[in-house]
Amino acid sequence: MSVETVVSEGDLAEMVEQVWVSYLDPEGVSPLLVTGDDGQATEVHSTVSITGSWHGHLVYACSLKAARRSAAAFLAMEEDEVSQEDISDVLGELANIVGGNVKAMLPAGCFLSLPTVVLAPDTASYYPAAERISGLYGLWDAEPVSISMWQSVKQQEATA
Amino acid sequence: MVIDDSRAMRMILKRIVAKLNFEAIEAGDGQEALDLLATMTEVPELALIDWNMPNMNGLEFVTKVRAEPRLREMTLVMVTTESEQSQIVRALAAGAHEYVIKPFTEGAMIEKLALLGLVPTGANS
Repeated sequence: MSVETVVSEGDLAEMVEQVWVSYLDPEGVSPLLVTGDDGQATEVHSTVSITGSWHGHLVYACSLKAARRSAAAFLAMEEDEVSQEDISDVLGELANIVGGNVKAMLPAGCFLSLPTVVLAPDTASYYPAAERISGLYGLWDAEPVSISMWQSVKQQEATA
Repeated sequence: MVIDDSRAMRMILKRIVAKLNFEAIEAGDGQEALDLLATMTEVPELALIDWNMPNMNGLEFVTKVRAEPRLREMTLVMVTTESEQSQIVRALAAGAHEYVIKPFTEGAMIEKLALLGLVPTGANS
């Protein structure tokens, strides 16, 4: 079964909306505006891997400015007070939250890894042996944010 | 007591319980929480517990707390992204009192705690 039939872009959008309402934009004044632009440049990549009955990754990516803003909103501090550790903690938790909810929609028997956060341009972020199969791409106060799902190529071939 | 390997999530939970006049103690995983509890003369009234943590996960922590008579009065609330029905059943069977799925709003968390009798009437208004 393809994950696309299990986790749609609409499902990702619903999860993102919950994250925004809960932590990043509780007042509802600055939602993520979906653009569908999968070529937007991002500088912070937070990944959780899923293993078990489905193999792949969920990647939460955004610009450094959006990451800083996320950390400030999440931790209730000013953007200029946010440290790199704050950014890593918050982006890791955001990927963990979305990944956990995605896992619940996958076939039973999946396991979620702890998050890994990399502050590097998307050209430097590469997921060996995995292929992007779906994603949600948008702007948050004009800053790029995306949530994408990557599936193991080996598993895709096995189920093709 | 707030038990989560994410410092960011611990800060959010601490902010919420501070509004309810709880003084929060933090732990980054289940083992650290048990070690802290072993040194405390007064047992915390409430523990908010993540599931997926290194060293000792939340389910193991709940199981160990429930096996320890000294800690039996603690109210245990799982706060986790694990949202499958089977996981919720496992946690409640192990002895968790309540289950909150991330992401949660502050209001939703306070409502859950109110159901457990841990929030003064009107605190969520």
